[in-house]
Amino acid sequence: MSTIKVFENWKDQPLDEILWLCQETVEDSEVMTVKRWRKAGGKVLGHFQVYFPEEIAHAAGMLPMKMFGASVETRNADSRFGSFLCSILKTSLEQVLSGRVELDMFVTHPICDAARNLAPIWGRNYDYPCQILYLPQNPNSSYSVQYLKEEYERIQKVIEKVAGREITDDDLKNSITIYNRNRELLRELYRIKKDMPWLISINEAYVLMAIGGLIRREEHNEILESVLPMIEKRKARKQDRIKVVFEGGFCEQPPLDMLRTIGRSCYVVDDDLLIGMRYILEDIETDNEPLHAMAEAYINKSSYSPVQHDLRKPKEKMLKERVKNANAEAVIITAAKMCEPGLEEQVTYTQEFDKDNTPYFVSEFEENMSSFDHLEMQLETFVENLIFD
Amino acid sequence: MALAAGVDVGSTQTKSVIINENLKIIGRSLIDTGSNVVKAAEKAYLEALTDSKRREEEVAYVIGTGYGRYKVSFGDTQVTEISCHGRGAVHMFPNTRTVLDMGGQDTKAISVSETGEIVDFCMNDKCAAGTGRFLGAASTALDIPLDELGPTALQSEKPVKISTTCTVFAESEVLSWLGKGKKITDILLGVHKSISSRSISLLRRVGLNKEITFTGGVANNIGMVEVMNENLDTKMNVSDESHFMGALGAALIAMDHIFESRIPMEATA
Amino acid sequence: MNEVKSKDIVGRGTREGAALFRDWFQDLTKKAEEGETAAYVFVMGSLAEILHVFDLPMVFPEINSLQTAVRHVADDFLNTAEDYGYSPDICGYVKADFAMQMQNGNHPMGRIPKPGIAVLTNACNTYFKWGEIWERIHEIPMVSIDVPATREAGTRTWPGDDQFEREKKYVKVQLKELIEICEKITGKKFDIDRLREVLGYANTMSRGWKRVLELNQSRPSLFNALTDGTVYLGMSNVFRGTPEGALYFDRLVEEMEYMSANGIGTLTDEKFRLSFIGVPCYPIFRRFNEMFTEWGGSFVMSTYLWFAAGGTNLGVQYDLENPLDSLAEGVLISVRDAMDSMFHPELTVLEQTEEFHIDGVVYHPIKSCRTTSAGMADNRRALMENSDLPSLFIESDMMDSRVVAEAQMKNRIDAFFEGLESRKAQAAIMGGA
Repeated sequence: MSTIKVFENWKDQPLDEILWLCQETVEDSEVMTVKRWRKAGGKVLGHFQVYFPEEIAHAAGMLPMKMFGASVETRNADSRFGSFLCSILKTSLEQVLSGRVELDMFVTHPICDAARNLAPIWGRNYDYPCQILYLPQNPNSSYSVQYLKEEYERIQKVIEKVAGREITDDDLKNSITIYNRNRELLRELYRIKKDMPWLISINEAYVLMAIGGLIRREEHNEILESVLPMIEKRKARKQDRIKVVFEGGFCEQPPLDMLRTIGRSCYVVDDDLLIGMRYILEDIETDNEPLHAMAEAYINKSSYSPVQHDLRKPKEKMLKERVKNANAEAVIITAAKMCEPGLEEQVTYTQEFDKDNTPYFVSEFEENMSSFDHLEMQLETFVENLIFD
Repeated sequence: MALAAGVDVGSTQTKSVIINENLKIIGRSLIDTGSNVVKAAEKAYLEALTDSKRREEEVAYVIGTGYGRYKVSFGDTQVTEISCHGRGAVHMFPNTRTVLDMGGQDTKAISVSETGEIVDFCMNDKCAAGTGRFLGAASTALDIPLDELGPTALQSEKPVKISTTCTVFAESEVLSWLGKGKKITDILLGVHKSISSRSISLLRRVGLNKEITFTGGVANNIGMVEVMNENLDTKMNVSDESHFMGALGAALIAMDHIFESRIPMEATA
Repeated sequence: MNEVKSKDIVGRGTREGAALFRDWFQDLTKKAEEGETAAYVFVMGSLAEILHVFDLPMVFPEINSLQTAVRHVADDFLNTAEDYGYSPDICGYVKADFAMQMQNGNHPMGRIPKPGIAVLTNACNTYFKWGEIWERIHEIPMVSIDVPATREAGTRTWPGDDQFEREKKYVKVQLKELIEICEKITGKKFDIDRLREVLGYANTMSRGWKRVLELNQSRPSLFNALTDGTVYLGMSNVFRGTPEGALYFDRLVEEMEYMSANGIGTLTDEKFRLSFIGVPCYPIFRRFNEMFTEWGGSFVMSTYLWFAAGGTNLGVQYDLENPLDSLAEGVLISVRDAMDSMFHPELTVLEQTEEFHIDGVVYHPIKSCRTTSAGMADNRRALMENSDLPSLFIESDMMDSRVVAEAQMKNRIDAFFEGLESRKAQAAIMGGA
């Protein structure tokens, strides 16, 4: 197990300082944590949205880095893409083209066709393996778990080659244990957000979670284990804000300032931000074949998103449940600009909420937008309407 | 000696150039296109002739270019302004390999060979951001004449960041910065930088090979030239004849036709 | 063959295709009026082979949608969908079809029956969102066949390879699951002999399609891959696995071989042979092509004829002794190939440059379709690095005329040909020197 640490300066700091350091790290387009990892001799597997079985890369001693866009100008990436595409594709590629991030392997998923194209584009620009991990879009087939297990076995071999070492079942089980703990801690964070949202703002919770995508999970677990009790002891007064669910952050991420803007008028009690990190809903068992357990968890014990088709989990019903479980009063239904699945799902969502008059607010965003005056005004109007109804 | 002529019918202005067999410009004209494109082409041509003090009969070949190239009724043929700008630029600056033509309506990035042939091109003509239009919008919003935009912008040392991608909304963003107390110079420099960054994006698509020549109406804006030179970390070629690059290229291609027609048939078989 | 007159055989495929297509549409309209439901399928993996066993009428929403654009009425359909809440940035095919669903199946060519089942593959991710829309409007079963495709360019596996055999198993199970659902909704029992029959016809068609595409290496080219090709393509999709389809392709091969043997070309003065990458510009279908033929440019090859044929251009032949197993294998190879044609077309295009005597490549990325278009700019960059083949990059859409700017396109097309002509002139001078 690796002992390289890339994020240590949070230790022994007060809560506000820790949160600030997390924000700095998440916003750092130079991605110093990954640079430190590399400098210490570590290898990096960059994985695109939404969900990637990170445990496999982790078990090989690599750092699985979540590529989820960045606040950068796409000077180099622009010429590799045409028009009418979401920003996250370009900024993710820009990270490597500009030399800010260096990878040893890149993986994307069949979440949408823009994302699938990322593998061949990346592969034309780099010599290391740039692949699509074909997560099943027919999870309802009786063979889907078996297929996925075999797909995981396939990528394990590729990762072993890149990492230059074998991955044993024990390695995998160990990594699964770490990731189980991480997911448990994130569930705990979300429980605090749901029950006592005044203790932590949406953007604070966001950076506390997001940093996990840029460091090894054992480091993330350490942070969360220290920070969660601190949050529960925080002295913050409950304010009179409406409770909302934020939907639309499964892939391209809304800017922190946008979350902050929303947080000024609402308590975001649940959301799908970086849902890939919390996609598996229960602990993955480590008794038997680890890859089988992981595949089974993905198929049967997972959350939902507009880019994962599953007849058992119609998205609008899942969102409705999310709203109910969080005791939310309204839903903010967003989509990233040019995000086809997100934009299509918006219609399904709004139709569903029209049926029982659940209040909702529809918006689009782009990861690098910087002006929110319009959004704030519209959202405040929406909230005022709700409060004064 | 025969003369050749090029007529560049743009959406806002029409330019014409007459050259002699030494490829020297002996007459030129620049007029507003207005609503009658056919008449504008004729008028520009005749004014260029007047300027050259030569007779129409001496002109052996005329090529029309620009958006209204099919309306040059007296032309012998038409050639796209992409080919013309490439040709014109290489004639002016023989070492040029990339041309950026920023006009009122569109911006073109052209990659050329040493003989003036087009290797690749990329245009931004669907959207006004990154074109002279953006400057026009800023000029309106700030009530500053177009030709003062550049010098005014260069007075700034702290440009604002213009984030809107659409010219239509850029006006309101400019006003919103004014409202926040930002200096006009800073806002203007921000506008120039925004246009520059879009143009560089376009240039990268065709390959940023030196030397780079900057042509088109916006090349007269010293602010734009300086900002781009800084961002490109090079000194672009800018000619006083920037406005006439397209018409010149057309005239050069016309002269090619004249020379070719004199070559005995056997040699081209 | 001695009695065949040139004027009867040349252009026959296009004429017969148009007539057959109209008949098919009339038949669909009749079914719609009688309240019969159909299987809604897609061109990339229609699974017609199985659906025909159950005599399920088939509807191709992609074709229905593109027809509205060809007939210049797409804007109304798109506006209807957008008024309903669908973003301008999503696929135009989906929106036009949605509008049709809202209008009781009304279509410029007649009426479309409602769906009783939707069948799709993962060749395009938008298929899933589209199917989900039908699920909600019509409450029908939606069957998605996952075809594990190429993970990384240059790493395809083939029958006999472990990975291929494993993936084939997955596809086979899914096909069986599809069969079970078809049995349930039609009340008919699956008949393996009927499958053999359908596969036989499909074999003829695939073989024929491959041959026809190959024959366009002839100089002059025999058909325009952009215009005529779309008619043949329509036939290959709509009549897949039917005796009419098999006959059509036998006759098409005959026509093409005749033309090739007699040096008959599609364009009187073929000056430039071009490759087309992407989906045609349906809003200005004829005019788009004219902007090229005016310069003597003819499209001899198009990736559209590969991926939109579900990869049947490979000519995979099903083994009738092992129909289900062979079908799974064929679906895996063909549908996977369709995806490869969209994600890394440069590989095959470069391979075929010499055989087809290609002078230039035209990339047509479209706003609606990320599948075909997201990778085109980088694809072109790679092509330019690896060859000196001239290429043109023109963006528009296959449905939405609001983003089709003809004058601007013409500007670029003209500049491209100016380049090609000057290249040719240079080559002649060098050759003659």
